[in-house]
Amino acid sequence: MEKKFEVKDLITVGIFTALYFAITFAVACIGFIPIFMVFMPLLVPIFAGMPLMLYFSKIKHFGMVTITSVIIAILMFITGHPYPIFIFCIGAGLLTEIVLKLGDYQSIKSCVIGSSTFSLWLLGMVIAFFFGFRESYLNSLADGYGQEYVDKMSGYTPTWVFFTMIAMCIIGGLIGGLLGAKVLRKHFRKAGMA
Amino acid sequence: MELGLSSTSDKSVLKLDPRTKLCLLIAISLIMVGGKTAGVEYILRVICAAIPFVLLLTVRHIKSALIYVVLIAFSVFCEGSVIPNISGAPNLILMILCGIISRFVPGYMMGWYTVRSTSVSEFMTAMDRMHVPYFITIPFSVMFRYFPTLSEEYRSVHDAMKMREIGQSVKNPFTYIEYVLVPIMMSTVRIADELSAASLTKGLCAGGKRTHICQISIRLYDWLLMFGTLAMIVLFFAF
Amino acid sequence: MIEFRNVTFAYSSTDANGRAIEQGSINGLDLTIQNGEFIVLTGGSGCGKTTVTRLINGLIPHYYSGTLNGEVMIDGKSVPDTPIFETAKKVGSVFQNPRSQFFNVNTTDEIAFAAENQCCEPAEISKAITATAASMHIEKLLDRNIFELSGGEKQIIACAGINVLSPDIIVLDEPSSNLDSEAIEKLKAVLTDWKSQGKTIVIAEHRLYFLRELADRMLILENGRIAKELITEEIKKLTADDTEKMGIRPTMLPEIHCSQKNTDVQGDVLLLEDFRFTYNDGKHGINIPRLELPANHIIAIIGHNGAGKSTLARNICGLERKCKGTLIMNGKKLKAKDRLHSCYMIMQDVNHQLFTESVRDEVMLSMTDKLLTDEQKIKKADEILSQLDLLEYANTHPMALSGGQKQRTAIASGVASSKPVIIFDEPTSGLDLAHMKQVSNQLKKLKEIGKTIIVVTHDNEFILSCCDHIVRLENGCVADN
Repeated sequence: MEKKFEVKDLITVGIFTALYFAITFAVACIGFIPIFMVFMPLLVPIFAGMPLMLYFSKIKHFGMVTITSVIIAILMFITGHPYPIFIFCIGAGLLTEIVLKLGDYQSIKSCVIGSSTFSLWLLGMVIAFFFGFRESYLNSLADGYGQEYVDKMSGYTPTWVFFTMIAMCIIGGLIGGLLGAKVLRKHFRKAGMA
Repeated sequence: MELGLSSTSDKSVLKLDPRTKLCLLIAISLIMVGGKTAGVEYILRVICAAIPFVLLLTVRHIKSALIYVVLIAFSVFCEGSVIPNISGAPNLILMILCGIISRFVPGYMMGWYTVRSTSVSEFMTAMDRMHVPYFITIPFSVMFRYFPTLSEEYRSVHDAMKMREIGQSVKNPFTYIEYVLVPIMMSTVRIADELSAASLTKGLCAGGKRTHICQISIRLYDWLLMFGTLAMIVLFFAF
Repeated sequence: MIEFRNVTFAYSSTDANGRAIEQGSINGLDLTIQNGEFIVLTGGSGCGKTTVTRLINGLIPHYYSGTLNGEVMIDGKSVPDTPIFETAKKVGSVFQNPRSQFFNVNTTDEIAFAAENQCCEPAEISKAITATAASMHIEKLLDRNIFELSGGEKQIIACAGINVLSPDIIVLDEPSSNLDSEAIEKLKAVLTDWKSQGKTIVIAEHRLYFLRELADRMLILENGRIAKELITEEIKKLTADDTEKMGIRPTMLPEIHCSQKNTDVQGDVLLLEDFRFTYNDGKHGINIPRLELPANHIIAIIGHNGAGKSTLARNICGLERKCKGTLIMNGKKLKAKDRLHSCYMIMQDVNHQLFTESVRDEVMLSMTDKLLTDEQKIKKADEILSQLDLLEYANTHPMALSGGQKQRTAIASGVASSKPVIIFDEPTSGLDLAHMKQVSNQLKKLKEIGKTIIVVTHDNEFILSCCDHIVRLENGCVADN
């Protein structure tokens, strides 16, 4: 972040983060139905892929994606999500930054990969359900119900589900990124806007 | 649009500094998500669960406060007397549901309170006072400003689609999403351009420290609350 | 003092194939503006008047890139060599689109914004805001959500923001294009006030009638050069014929004389019954028990901002489900849902209603008739496009077109949908004389092919040029028909 950001960059960050967040939020609302919640890491990146790709195409230098991830983290935090969201958001942001940097902020390929690495932040929303939360909740149950019951419960929410979610983020991100790339070619390039 | 902070000044009974609200948020998410349900931590949990309720009442969000109480009562009741008496799938579903409610809803409610009771300018001023750098604060305020625009844009595109009966002629869901998003994305690009130009002529990023006409200050009760929060966190880690 | 010395500027942009191109805008401009002068820049679209305003406030070359030659100086200091935030202290700007020039959600914050950026003392800013609010009579607008304000109120807030910092020079880029006559009067009051304070004002505008008494000099631009320069006395003497010849809009607001008032409609009618609708805020809405409109005419709906014009248009279209009213056309009773099939609206911002990747696809998207084969559809689409002079753009992306062409594309898809009623929402906002005439000709053509056209507008010059029936709304009720 040595280079000073220009006003235009910061406004681009703000506006596209808003667009991305609103779409994420809209899709995540379906997540309140428990079945969909499991598929949220797959669905969100597919829908959010188009604006994300457009955003990536506007990025010209280092730091903008990281800012987006910090902003999302703060927003998620003040709306009541637990603190691990910071680690995941900023981690995903930095990773994406590196991916885009490797493509020199030009290559479509690295943008598509970036769309899938960026989606990893979504794990921050569900992580608490799997680690810190599950252990402590089950332990608290152990006092009342006995260890046997607790073991049975852990069987229902196995850790591998978490890894499936990682895979879903990546696949969803790839699909979203490819769709986004197609839309960019089809509309924005032709309209002289990208 | 429910996403943004409130747009006009706060008219609540108890006016907390945004920084105090942040402290409370940290404490609640730490204690409610991680805490056990016995001993000192039990008492901490009760206190943390009560804070959002009281605060929601101070900003006259009586309906949300009541919903919150009902939810918490439901989960306490189930954990206490229903779950031990049933088994199998209903037991599992109920248990996960109650777990989510008792651990996450207090945090969400505190977040809801924070969002509803803080105006955008208070939030920006607070971030500046906490020495958050300009390259975070500026995108943030652009964002709050863009949410309402976004919902206006969405409504117009939605109307246009209804009028052109696109829902009937386009069957492919991906094409449908494309038709919704492309016009919105186009105008997003345009608005970003125009807004950047307007902000430049108003001297944004002039260098030096921006001033704020919005006055926020940490008052006595803010100090008391922050001290209380700190004490709870210390207690939480001590046990 | 603002000086332009032999200034030439070309915007750099990319064409549809991604190649870099240059679009010339200003060509050898020489101009000196004295302190306290009130300058009106006018001329057809693309004549370079907006570019002149951008050169003064420094957006060129600091924001819009291109090739700049010559010198632009304010008080002897070169604008291109001065950082833009320095220029911002001396030059205040008001833009065309009230929706995209705000940085804040709260009105008071927005008024304070420019001053906050220049690191003024908060107490002094607050004092200046109170004074400004009193002098501009906008106390009621303070501490409000900007998104709840009308376009006119937004422009007044933009002016108030300038007042707080009180720069010596103020440039305005088509500030009136989205305003109704009442809001224009308010804008005029602000401008008069600024002029009396001795500020230098440069305003680029199409609509000239409200500037007639204020302008010290009027410059008519053509292809990036000053084609004609008029001074106060000459401006006041201009007649409608003179302006017509110069290709600019009249300097006097034409009166609308109705031949008959409250006439009974002869021939085929559209009968609106029971159009009652209230927005969620409980204040705004419409209440029209019965309204007769002549079929196959061009009908203008006029009235002040907030009188319910757009609401009526949306309701006729069937976009508000809650509205219980019915429209009787050719003996058929149409409920809101049925009206969606028979009415087509060209929105004020046509960008929202163009979805596909080429103009031809756009038109074909509207043909819902399943019996037609693709080839028949293409043939029909091309016919419609040639009627509207769009055939050469059939394969172009709609968003790559100019504003007028986009509007015609939207009209073309309306024609293709074969709906009998076509509604226009403010079709002429921000158009110059030539384009306004073009729109009015388009409407006449639509009338010829048997459509009923309803136009929501507050552009009197436009109404005179083509409409043959007027409905005036007041507080959601029909005042005159």
